[in-house]
Formats: sequence, C-alpha cells, structure tokens
Amino acid sequence: MQNRLINKMNENFAEYLRDESRVCGNADSISFPKDEESIINIVKDAYNKNILLTIQGARTGLAAGAVPNGGHIINLSKMDKIISMKNVDEEYYLTVQPGLILSNLIEEVENKKICIENFSKESKKAYVKFLADKNKYFFAPDPTEKTATLGGMVACNASGAKSYLYGSTRNHVTGLKIVFIDGDKLSIQRGVYKARGRRLSFFTSENKKIELKLPKYEMPTTKNASGYFIEDNMDLIDLFIGSDGTLGIITEIEIKLKKRPNIIWGVNCFFEKEDIVIEFVQEVKKQMNCIAAIEFFDKNALEILRKQRENSSGFSKLPSVRKEMEASIYLEIHADDEEKAIEALKNIGEIMKELGNSDENTWVGRTDEDKNKLLLFRHAVPESVNMLIDSRRKDNSKITKLGTDMAVKSKDFRYIFNLYKKDLMKYNLEYAIWGHIGDNHLHVNILPRDINDFEIGKILYKNWADKVSEIGGAVSAEHGIGKIKTEFLKIMYGEEHINEMVKLKKYFDSKELLSIGNMFKIEKGSKY
Amino acid sequence: MKIVVCVKQVPSSNEVKLDPKTNTIIREADKSVINPYDKFAIEEALKIKDNLKGEVIALSMGIPATEKILRDAMSRGCDRSVLLSDKKFAGADTLATAYTLSLGIKKIKNVSLIICGKMAIDGDTAQIGPELAETLKIPHITDVSEIIKISENEITCRKINDNGYSIIKMVLPAVITVVKDINLPRLPTIPGVLKSIHASFEIINAHNATANINRIGSTGSPTQVIDTFIPERKNVAIEIEGDIDKKIDFIGDIIKEIMYNGRIDN
Repeated sequence: MQNRLINKMNENFAEYLRDESRVCGNADSISFPKDEESIINIVKDAYNKNILLTIQGARTGLAAGAVPNGGHIINLSKMDKIISMKNVDEEYYLTVQPGLILSNLIEEVENKKICIENFSKESKKAYVKFLADKNKYFFAPDPTEKTATLGGMVACNASGAKSYLYGSTRNHVTGLKIVFIDGDKLSIQRGVYKARGRRLSFFTSENKKIELKLPKYEMPTTKNASGYFIEDNMDLIDLFIGSDGTLGIITEIEIKLKKRPNIIWGVNCFFEKEDIVIEFVQEVKKQMNCIAAIEFFDKNALEILRKQRENSSGFSKLPSVRKEMEASIYLEIHADDEEKAIEALKNIGEIMKELGNSDENTWVGRTDEDKNKLLLFRHAVPESVNMLIDSRRKDNSKITKLGTDMAVKSKDFRYIFNLYKKDLMKYNLEYAIWGHIGDNHLHVNILPRDINDFEIGKILYKNWADKVSEIGGAVSAEHGIGKIKTEFLKIMYGEEHINEMVKLKKYFDSKELLSIGNMFKIEKGSKY
Repeated sequence: MKIVVCVKQVPSSNEVKLDPKTNTIIREADKSVINPYDKFAIEEALKIKDNLKGEVIALSMGIPATEKILRDAMSRGCDRSVLLSDKKFAGADTLATAYTLSLGIKKIKNVSLIICGKMAIDGDTAQIGPELAETLKIPHITDVSEIIKISENEITCRKINDNGYSIIKMVLPAVITVVKDINLPRLPTIPGVLKSIHASFEIINAHNATANINRIGSTGSPTQVIDTFIPERKNVAIEIEGDIDKKIDFIGDIIKEIMYNGRIDN
C-alpha cells in the first residue's frame, strides 16, 4: 500500500461521507489516486486485508451509491483528464478518466478546445482533423447535474432530458478499462466480448479466463437503471455500465461523440388544463421526429417556482408564469436547418391549438440567452424543492424529500399518472411532479411537512414500486439503485434474481468488498 | 402611440475579431445578438403598447445581415422594423450614427417616443441616446429605471443618478435610455416567431434617407480610432497544494502582500 495516498478520515474529509441523496455514511480512510497504478496498489492492499472499498466521483448521485459503508473510500476526482482521441470511419472518440467533470467535457468538446498536453502523436492527428471538421460535436447524455463525473455517469447509466432522442450514457460508451478488486485489469471495446445466450466468457489482462453464468431475469422494456444490464447475447461492456461500482473500478472510459445539430431551440408550452398534457405529448411523439427532449412540470412545481421567484434573488430573473397555468411541457427541437426548426415550431403550435390551447402560451428559446432562461427555469424546480426540504429539515432532521424515479411503458403511463395523483390527494400530501414524460418517466416528489407525512410517503413510494413492477416498469430509470432503493429492486426482480445478481458480483468480488450495499445488501468485510 | 426602439447588433461573445486595418469590430451575423440593454428597451416599448395601444418599430443601422436581429426583435413583439443600411454609413462614430438614426426616425414619421438601451456592450459609450435627441432637437432622459406615468403628450420617469434617483417629467416626443433593471424582457412565443419570419421589413439606403454625405459614415465621424485591442488577461488561477495549515498560511501571505503592497499579479 502506498501509504502517502491514504488519508485517515477526519473532519476535513467529512463531506466525502455523503452525496446528493443526503445519506451520511462512515469510513476509516480516503485516497485520491491520480493514476491506475495507484488504484491497483490500493485495491491489492485492501484485498489482502479484507477492507471494504467505496468508489466516488463528484458525489452528485441521488441514490447514495457513493456513500461509504465503512472501510476505505477511493475518490477518483483527481483522475479528470481527457487522455486520447481517435477518428475512425469519420467518427470521433475520446478516452477520458473517470473523474472528468461533465461540464468540463461539454465545454472542451463543444468549443473544440480540448487540452491535448498528454495526447500521443496519433491522438494529436485526430484532434487536428477534429478542429478542421466543419461540423460541431457533442456528448449527448445530459443529466441535470452537470458537475457529475463521467465515471459516476457510467456507474449509474445516467440519462437526462435529451435521452428521449439519444438514449442513456450506455449508448455513448464504446470502451472501458476496469481494475478488479484483486488488482487484475480488463480492457473492453464494445463488440469484442459477446455472450452466447446467458453465458459470457472473457480473459483479463493477466490472462485469467472468467466464465459467467448470467442471471435469468428479463429487464423491463422501459427506460431502466435498475440492477445489472442482462439480456441474451449481450455485450460484456453493458454489464459494467450501470453496475453501481459493484464489479470493478472504472479507470478509463471511451466515449463516442455525436454530430451536433445545427439548430437547437427550446420551447416551453404552458397548459391551462393538466389533463390534456398526456394527449399533447402523445401527439408530439407520434408526429415529430426532431424532438430531443420532452419534459413535464405540474401545477405544484410551477407554484413552488412562483414563490421561489418572489423570495430568492437567484431566481428573480426567471420569466413569470401566469397563475392560471396548470402544467408545462418543455420540448427541445434538434434540426439540421432553420427551415426544419420553423416547421417543428409550427407543428407544436398546431398540436396545442388542436387540443384547445393557445400557442401564445409558449416561450421560445433560440438565442443562447433565451435558452439559458429556459434552462434556469428547468433547473430551478428541483433546486427550489431541495431548498424547501432543507428548510423543513431544520425543524425535523428525520424528514427528507421522497423522490421517485420510475418508468413505465407508454400504454401504462396514464394509469400510473392517475394512480400517483389519486394517492397523493387521498393522503393530502404536499408534492410536486416533474420529469421526463417523453420516456414515461416522472419524478414524483413528496414534500413531507412532518414525520407523519414522511411515513405515509414511504408507504406510498413502496406501493408504487409494487404497481410499477407489476406492470413491467422500472423502479429506477436513471438514478440507479444505489443504497436507498435496494428494497425496490427486490420488489422488481424478486429474491431469486437478486441472489443471481449477488452470485454474479462474486465472480468479480469473491470477498465481497467492493461498493457493499449498492444494489443489494451484503454485510461483510472488516475495518481498515 | 408610435414608439421606435433603437437596437444594435453586438457580438454574442467576448471573443470579438477586429479588422486590422480599420481597428473596428468585424460583425458576423451568425455570432451576433441584440445588444442586451436593447432588449429592456423593447420590453418597455411593448409594455407601453399593451396599455396605450399603438405600434412598436425596431430601428437599426448596420450591414444587411442585421436583419437577423431585427426579426428577432419582431419575434419578441415589435410590429415591424427598419434597417438603415448602406456602405456609405460604414465606419460611423456615435455622432454619425445618431444622425443616421435620426434620418430613419424622420422617415418613420410621427414618432412619440424613442427608447434606447443605456449603452451597447461592445462600444460602452452610452452616447447614442442623448446624441439622437440633440440631433432631433427633442428632450431626453438617460438611465431610466421606471416609467412612472405616460400619456400621449408626456412621460414621467425615474432616472438613476450616482447618488440616488430623480423623478423627471418631459413632453413627448422624446428619447429615453433604459437601464437593465427596468423590467424582465418577455420571451418570444411560437406565433411571434412565425410572424417575424414574414413580417414587414424595410431597408433604407443613404439616398432614400436623404442623408447629408458629410454627416454619415467615416466622413461624418470626428472620432478617429487609432488603436483597438483586447486587454491582455494577466491574472491566473493558482492551486494551493499542501495541508490545511499550509493553505491558510499561503492565503494569509497573499492577503498581507495586498495589504502592504497593493495589488499583486497572481
């Protein structure tokens, strides 16, 4: 063990015991390795001494995946470089370290200002081509929290508003480098290791053959970030994406860049009646193929925003929403040229009018400044809710926000939406609903006023997980299971399949030391 | 009431390109936006129109590609726009620009109120509003933070001063320049954007504006730009290594250095 890398836990590192889920864990030590070699040294030592390990990025996750359960924390935030670029068949690929912050990646790629200090000759050649290329490029996954790390995004298969068109992080990862708990390594390129049915075998860097018997469950056909990705004839790389840090430590990620559409416009549509929103979304999905994001905000979310706008200077620049508006849908148009974007605007306006709603009730963002206002609006909703809950926690520290992350099939969306609303009204709970309605994936946020609300909310949350599982949906569609949704994963797949997942983990982590408590509960390991 | 809003095309980022010969900004249409202060001017005009009815006309002087920002102004609610565009207008300083804009206003006729943004973010002169009023020989109020009252014949404004504010009443027609806190500009709507694509758009050249050739473009500009440059950024961020005590000492040293010796480079 390189002791100089290991820091004993003290008050200076207190923040590393929690993440955005606001769950607080415990640990004995923490390290901030800067390269793969250091990681290997740390894990080998931990492996020999049976020390539990928790892997962290920027701790922006909402499911406590980065919250330690004792032992040692490996924080990857210092491994934050773009290390190479390649150009194959007119496509650009970047290899990045797991601690790279998403907003930095976005800035460097979209402005074509990538730091090439450590690039090889080949990478520099690809970069020269990239600079000369008339097209603009981007990395499509866009979780709301842009300070997330790429490693964290891969670990929970993050998605965001634009995943409606471009899919989740999984769809944009083409290679991974992984260090296993015993110090062995694996380098995977998409397409190289494929399963035969549910059998998958591959060789590690030390030429060790690993033969996996994959679990038998069928994943939901909805947007999904619950449990291991398992399907017939699957690619090995997909097993690691969304594995919540339970199988190995990701040390390098190869991502594929996409051509950026020439025109990106945003439109906020406001509705006086919430019940026509579902129909509006269905029509948009049916009629239009240039929409990248379809996001929903309910009446309560708009009301919270109104209050926040009056009380907080940070949100005072938000345009005001008229009181009679009951819901809002944000649409993002991605088009090759302005003519097509105008056509899309017309189409949106026509759908609104056909449903008896005026197309005057819209905000169109075409310039950067206007688009930023729309973005501020979308971000202000969850921010406002968090502020509200934080102020309530001052009176009662036991309550937290209860936010769901479930997705269902299109045909079931109206049913589940009505169920949410019926239950929330029945128990007179305070709530706000928003999220990715295009993917039939909403975040129902229960805002407990007291411990009684909190307890009722937890029961409702579990009931909804039951219902969603029953109709073939996913209990987590984008945040991952982490430590706070393990019970829901059990509901979704059942005990037998959870046991299959535990068995699968043991192929890679026989001593059960890595990210313990993520996805399923295992109580093992010893202190450092 | 007929209201004219003067809008200017400015670069959308700080990374402007300068013409090495003329030392003036090279204006690229696809990287240009409405001067941010002018958006507040547009919104104020639209608010007056909401109450008093009438017409809001966006007016600009610039290259033909300025059409893009004028159509943007129309998507936000302006009824029509007028562009003064001619090679003879090129190289104008604020005096020649104000004169040229005054010709546009005369062509529009019967204008009751002219609203300008406080200043443009590229030139930062804040001269156009007052110069335009002087050229048209009408009164003006700069740095308006609120229109308290307006009728067909007069306007009462709150004007921001260095030491507070003044409330000033003046007769119309007149010019006001507005500060950024005066309102919250509305966003375009779908019908607004669609209407702006085909909205009436008039281009006036020097001849049609009956311009005095000695008062326009570089000929009519007493200001001569000798040199224009982007200031070199000297400050750099530094990362302080070491444990918390070392970091505190390091920051303490920086503070002492500033206290005793004034500003330091890093």
